[in-house]
Amino acid sequence: MKFTLKIWRQQGPDDKGRFVTYQAHEVSPDMSFLEMLDSVNQGLIVKGEEPVAFEHDCREGICGSCSLVINGVPHGPERGIATCQLYMRRFSDGATITIEPWRARAFPIIKDLVVDRRALDRVMQAGGYISVNTGGAVDGNVVLIGKDQAETAMDAASCIGCGACVAACKNASAMLFVAAKVSHLASLPQGKPERTRRVTAMMEAMDREGFGACGNQYECEAVCPKSISVRFIATLNREYLRAGVVESGAPTVPEAPHAESD
Amino acid sequence: MASGETAVSSCKNRGMMRLFNHFQTSLDSKVVVALTGLGLAGFVVFHMLGNLQVFEGAEALNSYAAFLRDMPILLWTTRLGLLSIVALHIGLAIQLTLHNRRARPVAYAVREYRKASLASRTMAVTGSVLLLFIVFHLLHLTAGVVDTSFPDRLDLQGHRDVYGKVVHAFRNPLFVALYLAGQFVLGLHLSHAVSSSLQTLGFEHAALNRLFKAAGPVIALLVVLGNMAIILAVFLGVVRT
Ligand code: HEM
Ligand code: FES
Repeated sequence: MKFTLKIWRQQGPDDKGRFVTYQAHEVSPDMSFLEMLDSVNQGLIVKGEEPVAFEHDCREGICGSCSLVINGVPHGPERGIATCQLYMRRFSDGATITIEPWRARAFPIIKDLVVDRRALDRVMQAGGYISVNTGGAVDGNVVLIGKDQAETAMDAASCIGCGACVAACKNASAMLFVAAKVSHLASLPQGKPERTRRVTAMMEAMDREGFGACGNQYECEAVCPKSISVRFIATLNREYLRAGVVESGAPTVPEAPHAESD
Repeated sequence: MASGETAVSSCKNRGMMRLFNHFQTSLDSKVVVALTGLGLAGFVVFHMLGNLQVFEGAEALNSYAAFLRDMPILLWTTRLGLLSIVALHIGLAIQLTLHNRRARPVAYAVREYRKASLASRTMAVTGSVLLLFIVFHLLHLTAGVVDTSFPDRLDLQGHRDVYGKVVHAFRNPLFVALYLAGQFVLGLHLSHAVSSSLQTLGFEHAALNRLFKAAGPVIALLVVLGNMAIILAVFLGVVRT
């Protein structure tokens, strides 16, 4: 197969950037999208040109590193997969494919197709954790959790933090990401003690990082490689409203069982 | 760890602050936009139902209008209430829209939407056109300054002849076209807005999600059909003086 690729090239954060057109020849339909880019890069290296920078690690849909907007859709035309799980047989021979980076103010471009997604880490640091005392590991099944509850938590926890939800959202909102994290922790007993503080802190962090607000358009769910449901956004909204009521009514908020102190 | 402190930092008064001082996060604004929007949606539904009395004749509509106007306290509380709801809704919606635009300074060269409906992507546009339409509508049928060819007059019971005014208005193809366009824009705005508000307010339940999703389009359709029935019935001569 052969393809015409229109790829976003940008030297660094301050470069203006532009599209450059490349030809990909002798592409096997069984190549993954990233392997196809690898072969294009081989060609560039042979010619003494700068290869296209793109992010990848596991190449099996679990790490959340790969991040390409392919023909206007984050992670490309297939549903429920990451870019690394996309195969060239999905495209018709001779097609022109446009490849862009995630675009959001919170995700500044580092180079070409690689963006800085540390904003998501900072949102996590604001509250996406549980505080536990270290010591001997707790025995399994000490805290019994119903199957439905465990399934719900697992559905939310399947988020790999790739940021496709932000890339797809018209408002570049990280709402589905925050919703997945908040819902995952709030649906388990271990996450309950800090739920009030967590949801407020994470929402504040999301704004602070420059993500937009949710428009309930659900484009995020449609591109999520883990198909995380937007019903978790409703859960997040409920958690947030609950926190508003609890915080405004309560004379004191209990301190964390183990506040991070260093 | 600094970020740990952010989460742990005293949030004793945060809720109070949030309720009384200012809106802390974009989600607070969204909740207020949703609540005021639902309030306006409720108004639009009752407005349509009330106006359907045009089909019962001049007497019914005029005495209904008189009933609404005859209680100055109620009239002005409602008017001021609606005005402040509209102001909150528009003010926060504009703020949110600007916040959202800033979040993506560089647009995609190619963009394909899978799920985001046209209505959901044009809320700011339909909202702004709706504002223009509402101002026009108030100047036209409430204040009566747009079309002075129909004088304010009383009917046989001594009520203001609202019926005559409505019939006069919708005989004119220009007004019919403007009002139908207004209905189209209102329908678009409402069809996304109502379901979206329910999501913003956290309504979500496995058994009821389809109902919540359908609420917007269904309410939008009912409002638009009801209003269009009035406009077209007059225009086609079904309702006449
Ligand atoms: C009859 C009049 C109106 C009704 C019934 C109405 C209703 C609503 C509702 C229920 C929402 C949903 C909020 C949400 O997404 O959670 C909404 C959103 C919105 N409205 Fe209105 N609205 C009206 C007039 C206006 C006007 C006059 C404007 C603007 C000038 C406006 C601008 C917006 C915008 C921009 C949003 C989206 C806000 C967001 O991104 O969350 N609306 N409206
Ligand atoms: S490279 Fe790990 S998810 Fe794609």
